[in-house]
Parts: sequence; structure tokens; C-alpha cells
Amino acid sequence: MNVVQAVKLYITKMTEESGPGMKVILMDKETTSIVSMVFSQSEILQKEVYLFERIDSHSKWDNMKHMKCIVFIRPTPENISLLLRELRYPKYGVYFIYFSNVISKADIKTLAECDEQETVREVQEVFADYLAVDRHLFSFNIVGCLQGRSWNAQHLQRCAQGLLALLLSVKRRAVVRYEAASEPCARLAERVRDLLRREAVLIDNNIPFNGEIPTPQLLIVDRRDDPVTPLLSQWTYQAMVHELLTINNNRVSLAHVPEVPKDMKEVVLSSEQDEFYAKNLYSNFGEIGQTMKSLMDEFQKKAKSQQKVESIADMKNFVETYPLFKKMSGTVTKHVTVVGELSACVSRHNLLEVSELEQEISSQSDHSKHLQRLKNLLTNEAVRQHDAAKLVALYALRYEKHASNALPALIEALKTRGAPEHLLKSVVNLLEYGGAHARQSDLFGLQDAVKITKRLFKGLNGVENIYTQHTPLLKDTLEDLIKGKLRENLYPTLGGEDGPYGRRPQDIIVFIVGGATYEEALCVHQINQAYPGVRVVLGGTAIHNSTSFFEEVKSAMQGVHRTHTRHIRNV
Amino acid sequence: MATANDDEILEGFLCPICKADLKSASQLTSHFESLHSEEQDVLRSLKEIFGKAKKIILNNDDSDLKETFDRALKFSYQEHRWLDEEQVIGVSRSSTDYLKAVRSARLERYATETNKLLIRLDKLVCNMPAEPNQRKQHEQEVVPWLDGSSVKLCPNCAKAFNLTRRKHHCRLCGSILCHDCSTFLDINVARAIVDPSAPRTSQPDHEITEKNGLRLCEHCFNLIELRKQVQESRNAKTVLVTAYEQMRSLMDQARPDVAMYEKMCQSLFDGETTYNLTDVNKMRGRIGKLAEGIDLLSKQIAAFPAEPGTRQARLQTAIRHAAAHYIKEDLISLRKLPTEAQIEEVRQQRYERAEKQIQMERERMERQRQRKEEIAGPSASRVDTRQDDEDSPLLEQMNIIREYIKEARRDMKYEEVAILEANLKELKKEYHLQKLSNKS
Ligand SMILES: [Zn+2]
Ligand SMILES: [Zn+2]
Ligand SMILES: [Zn+2]
Repeated sequence: MNVVQAVKLYITKMTEESGPGMKVILMDKETTSIVSMVFSQSEILQKEVYLFERIDSHSKWDNMKHMKCIVFIRPTPENISLLLRELRYPKYGVYFIYFSNVISKADIKTLAECDEQETVREVQEVFADYLAVDRHLFSFNIVGCLQGRSWNAQHLQRCAQGLLALLLSVKRRAVVRYEAASEPCARLAERVRDLLRREAVLIDNNIPFNGEIPTPQLLIVDRRDDPVTPLLSQWTYQAMVHELLTINNNRVSLAHVPEVPKDMKEVVLSSEQDEFYAKNLYSNFGEIGQTMKSLMDEFQKKAKSQQKVESIADMKNFVETYPLFKKMSGTVTKHVTVVGELSACVSRHNLLEVSELEQEISSQSDHSKHLQRLKNLLTNEAVRQHDAAKLVALYALRYEKHASNALPALIEALKTRGAPEHLLKSVVNLLEYGGAHARQSDLFGLQDAVKITKRLFKGLNGVENIYTQHTPLLKDTLEDLIKGKLRENLYPTLGGEDGPYGRRPQDIIVFIVGGATYEEALCVHQINQAYPGVRVVLGGTAIHNSTSFFEEVKSAMQGVHRTHTRHIRNV
Repeated sequence: MATANDDEILEGFLCPICKADLKSASQLTSHFESLHSEEQDVLRSLKEIFGKAKKIILNNDDSDLKETFDRALKFSYQEHRWLDEEQVIGVSRSSTDYLKAVRSARLERYATETNKLLIRLDKLVCNMPAEPNQRKQHEQEVVPWLDGSSVKLCPNCAKAFNLTRRKHHCRLCGSILCHDCSTFLDINVARAIVDPSAPRTSQPDHEITEKNGLRLCEHCFNLIELRKQVQESRNAKTVLVTAYEQMRSLMDQARPDVAMYEKMCQSLFDGETTYNLTDVNKMRGRIGKLAEGIDLLSKQIAAFPAEPGTRQARLQTAIRHAAAHYIKEDLISLRKLPTEAQIEEVRQQRYERAEKQIQMERERMERQRQRKEEIAGPSASRVDTRQDDEDSPLLEQMNIIREYIKEARRDMKYEEVAILEANLKELKKEYHLQKLSNKS
């Protein structure tokens, strides 16, 4: 199961089915993102696709009958009516139409009736209906999927359709399991089950039932069960870039960085197109620094060896080796800029200290020590307000039930240091969103002696360290699932011909309502390494960093009456 | 679509760091020398930052930089175990047949109607008299006009007919309509529609009236217009399309050539004698020619007149981008050829290895023979079947093949050269073995 490859194969199919000739691809906002996640523009150009048009653009009509048009859109009512308009006055010679999800017969009939010039050659449904972030990670880019604790109807529909598409695109017939305590998870699971039932014929015809392997499972869990992971500072490359610089559809804006070169104002970080990135996605910050340094040394060595050269032949040599040279230097410059900005952030905002305390609060238990250190950090001016609020939120979650809980005092301290109102609200919202009352799992109960010993042992191996003590709850959930020990009463099963009872699934799609994180993506990556034969794909309504997670929580708590945080009177 | 670095086409002697075009290799080199001292600064500052961060984040020592470097650049992909599992294309469902069924049922109605109209149109414009009264008569003979005596209102706009709003007839269906509801079809255009081989007239700038046009109702006009458009789009093979198709065909030719070149180059580096340096150079020359052709055509395409900012202009630029990228990535970045000296060296090594092997083979056979003699006694030793070297049929065959190779080489059929060379090698081996066994 490689979701990037799955999407690429669909898009390649589209460009190939239209045969040779000049092509334009007509997309909507979402499908544009879907395509741009997996292909670079130059790759698409080589497939004879020269124009990228938006179906909702209002540019004027042109006669472009010499071009073939590939239409790739989501089957929304708006898109369909825009497509009807296009077909009534076709700009292009012929049309190959691909919907990214199921379309009704009635809609196809309407299309046929509009196609008076007989320009349509193909109408198909392909199921590239999600953003493939990495080979085992996908997203729907929805921040704020819940509103007032329950689904926004549109988002629910989008996620259900997207999950149906995902299963069809990787050709898996799966049963649906969900977190029992979560109403949103139950709703989504039912909706997916319904869609799967409706498409039973399509599934039966294309994905033969295989009794040899355990039925793949789609597991739907709630972010509220682990509100801690999105709050933590990250030290692996991808996660760190997202937390500090924000990755949006594989793009990172560096426009705010002083004196950044013009072509670095926005950089693309895609493991499909950037070998260095692919290799270092999960390397920790220190390792990246090492690697970059070695790369630059090598680069300089090369540059120097060319400097001595003076004969024409040698100069030719220089130019001949140039493509590689440029590729290398381009990549290096890009990552130097990114890593340079990360290091600046780390030192500017005391992130090492912040992170250390975050890790300890989330993974250890020592109230008085943590409270003391937290109070100290709150007086440190280098610490950003955002990070201060994160720390207080972590404390609030961790010591919610502690007898000497000092949250009101900490909020007071936040006020004193001038933290803006929305951050104070975030802390309270978060407790309301993911406090003990909302969690099914024992998020902080992992502190038994055995686990601590294990962790220390790992630390001695040099693999982990004080900045990576925390492991996301998802890891335990997935390991239980893989071992066939995930409890049926907590994670019941819907639909499917074969209950998963007692069988250990090999193919797992886990979806987090409320958004996944890159830390969890790393965790899934590690699980895929650790359990041969097991393939896990992770998805989320969004891929969060702490900033977007605060947004998510805010939306989920919109208009919700405070029931568990009423005692905090100073917000 | 990673547009970040692909905004413009870069060509020439570009500095890999600042991308400035230095016009010549020597200028580039000196630019590079006096280079970007700031790169040094970046490096130094990075070193510092990492030095600090590393001590805290990493537990390992910094001794083995080399290893980190190798790890970063060499793509063992061992951590992506899933690459083993090939992702197959996902489920898709076609509704094309259904669409076509619905469409043709609907269009069939139009088609019969349109055909009827076309036949009438043909009769109308063929032998149409110029004199107005005769023309009117001719028109009514082809299409009888509806009797309008009882019609009080225009069926289309429902306005009453009177002295100023007079009754007219559609020349194709004979129905009644008012002047405002009439559309006129240029007679020259009409001729072109019924006879596609007739010379195409460009859009007339004069107004089309009763005189030079045919009065039609909206319905008839639309059907004829649709027909015209379909016809036009079928014949729309513009200069752009022609140039584009030529360019693509050059690309199609270049692809196997590049693959062949890589193969030949590798063979040289491996010290094989299948191809010689001249062959590979010729191949390189041919690819260079193709690259030139593609470059030229794509530049032509980019230069075709198009209003800036329009789709047409963007299309032409994009084609040029794609071609330039293709040339740069696939054609110009060809692997460098080895020098004669390098080739000589690997060949020498290879030859020595082969010699050694032959020597060992000889010794082995010698030992075997001795053992046999020991067992069977000296009397059973051999019969001399020595052939005359000059008359060996093998030698003759080898010469024939050498001729073939020469021919194939001249025609640059390198696939053939490879096969023939392989044959020749087989024969040589055979010949050697024969000689060996003859000696023993
Ligand atoms: Zn420069
Ligand atoms: Zn009228
Ligand atoms: Zn008519």
C-alpha cells in the first residue's frame, strides 16, 4: 500500500488514455492539490500536459480545438454544472473526463445531453480523492472538521468519500472499526460502511475476496483520545519543519526569512522529488546538521577542484558534469536555508529547554518539579507566547486530576507575561476538548515501571534521547491491533463479510478524526519497519502542527458550554 | 507541480549557486573562483549551530562524517521495505458506453434533421439564379413555403404581423417568421458547408443580408452552425500542430538512441570490443542533431504569433519549456565518453584476465590428458586430426561476419552490430577451443 504511487498511477493513466497530442488538464481547487502532491510541473510537462486550468476560472473563451482536454474534478454539484457549461461551448477538441469519486447515472445523462458536439471521449471514475503526503500518509486538508463537537456535514461526507476512494485506490476490501467512545468516529464509520455497501458490485468485480490473508482493517480513531502529541515540539526533520515553518501541500514558505534568495521564498519538500528529503525525513535535527555539513564539504571540494582547471578541455568537463552539479547544489542550498531557519528558531526561542520540559511532562510524573520548572520558563522572555501556552496546556492535561493542580495560577502567569486572549482560551478549550472525560485510553497511565525501564534502555542505545521520550498513543493502539489484542468492546467492527476477531490484520488503514501529526507518521513508519508483512497507512482530516491543532480545537469547541473547566474562573 | 524552481528556463553557462549566466565557461570558472564567499559564511555559522545542538540532541560522536555523508547520498532504500510490494493501479469505472448511448440516441434525431437540411442546402446553393425573382422561385421549388394566410403572429416572438412587421420564410424549413427573428447564412459559407473541398472564405467583413445570404430561422441556423463547427474542428490542423508533431517525432527517435548510447558507452567502459569509440561518437552526434532539431522546432512554436497572456501563448511557452527541459535532462546530460587511453586500459586489463583464464584452461586440459594417458597407457594417445588453419570454415565464417559488421556500422544499426559482434565472439571462442583440442 503506497498511496503516493496509487495516485500517481491514476494520473498517469489519465495522461496515457488520451493518446499523443497537446493536452490541457482542467481541475478544481482540490484536485489541483491532489495532483501537485505527487507530480512536479516538469514531470507533467513531459507527459504532454502543457496547460493547467481551473474549472472555476472565469477567463474568456478561446478556440483551442487543437488540444485534448483531461478533466479531473471532484464530483460536486458545482463542478458538474461548471463542466456542463464547458461542454456546451467546448474550447478544446476532445474531452477525457475523470471524476475523483462516485458519480450518479443521472449526472452522466445530463453530461451526455450537453455534449451536442460529441467532444467527450471518456467518462470515468478514478479514486484519487485524497492528498497523498507520503507513501504511508494521507490527508484531506480539513482543519476544523468538528463544529461544536459534532461533524460539519460537508466534512463528514468528504471524509467518508475520501476513505472509500482510498480503499478502492489501494484495492483493499476492509472492515471498518472505530473508537466506541467517540460519536464522530461512529458517524464516520457508519457513513463509510454505507458507501462501501453501495459500491459492493464495483468492489466484488475489482477486488477479489482473498481468504488467505486476514481482512484489512480501517480503524477510525479520535484525536481527542490523544491531545498531547500535536502539542509537542518535534526534532525529526519533517515534523520539525511543519511545527516551526508549516508545510502546506508539501510546500514551505520562507518568505519571512530575512535575506532569503528569491527562488527560496517557497520551497517544495517532497520525498518523491527530493532525494535528500526522502532520505532525511525522519532523521533527527542533529543528524541533518551533520549530513548537510558533509554535503557542503563535498560541494566545496568539488568547486575547488574545478577552480584549478584552466584548459578548455577541463572547462568542458566542468560543464559536462554540470547537470549533476547543479542538482546537488540546488538541493543543498534549499536544505541549508531550511535547516538554517530551523536552527535560528531553536536558539531564538529556547526550544531545547521548552522541548525538554514538554517531554518530561508528557512522559514522566513529578508534579512539584514540573510545576516549578514550568513557572520558571514562563518568566523567560525568549520563550514564545505560543510555546508558553502549549506548556500550560500540557500541564493542564497531565495534572488535570492532581490534588495540587495549579492551573489557575499558571493561567495568571500567562496573563502576566502578556499572552493574548486567544491563547488563554486555547488552553481551556483544549482541556474541554481532550481532558480525562473525553479520553477512552489511559493516556498518562503508561508510567509503570516496566515502560520507564524500557525507555531508559532505548536511551542507552543512542536511538532515543531526552527530546524524544514521548511516544504517541497511536503506537500502543496499532501494536495491540497488529497483535490481535485491540479490544472489540472499545473498538467495535462494522460491516464486512469476515469479522476480524482473533485474526491479526496485515493491512491497516488508520484514520484520525481531528487530524494526524508527522510524529505519528514517523511512528507508523517505524511500525512498518518493525513488523514484517504488516503495512500501515495513516490518514487524518489534516496533518497538524500545534498551531493548526489549536485551530482544530477552537472549531470543535465552538459554542460548547464549559462543563469540565468551569472551575477555571480567570479565563 | 513544483513550480518553485521551474519558473523560467535557464540555459547557458549558469552559476549553480546564483544562477547568473556567465556566457562562457572561462568566465564561469573565474566567477566561481572569486565566488560566493558568503557560502563559506553560511557553512561556518551552520557548523557552529550544529555543533551546539548536536552535543545535546545526539549521543554519538562526530568522528564519522564520511559515513553520515554516504548514508545521506547513497540510496539503499533499505528502510523502505515496502518498495518490494509493487502498487498496482486502483479500481476505476468507466461510464463512457452509457454516455455514448444516451448521446447518440439524442443526436440521432438531430442528425437526420441536419442531413435533411444539408440536402436542401445543397440544392439551394447549387445553380442559384442571381436574379431575385428567379431566385425566389428556385428557393420555393427546393423548399415549399408554408401558407401564411392564417398566421397572425410570428411563431417565434409572438408579435403581430402588420405593414411594418412583414411575414418571411425560412429557406430551409419553409416556416414563417418575422425579420427580427431571422438569421442570415452567408451563401459562400453555405457552399463551403455542402462542399468541404470548396475554397474556405475567411470571415466576411461585410454585412450579410437577404442578398448575399440565406434567410433562416433560429432552429435551422443552429443546426447548420453546429455542423459547421464540427467540420472546422476536424480540419483544424494548423501550422502549430504540424510543427508540434514533427517535434514529438524527433523526441520519439531520440529515446531509443539515448538508450542505445548508454548501452554502448557502458560497453566501452566495461572494456568490451563490441563497439568502438567512433561508433559511440557517431551516435552522440546523431543525438546532438536530434536535440538541435527539437530545439529549433520548439523555438519556432514559441515564436508563433499569439496574444500575450492567452491560453495559446501559454501553451506555446509551455511546449518550449518542456522541450528545453527534455533536451537538458535527457539529451545533453549524456554520459561522457571514455578517452582512448581509458579504453585501452580497461581492454588491456580485460585481455590479461582472459589470457590468464585461457592459460589456466590449457593447464587444466594438459593435466587431464596426462591423467588419461596414465590410465590408458601411452599407446592410446591421440590421432592427429590437425586441420589446416587457413582453410578452417570457421575462419571463413568469421570473415563474412566481419563484413556484415562493417555494413551495419556504416548504417549506424548498432543493435545489429551488437548481435553480430556476439556471433563473432562465439566463433572466435569455438575456433580457439578447436585449436586447443587439436594441439592436445
Ligand atoms: Zn555565482
Ligand atoms: Zn419574430
Ligand atoms: Zn427553418
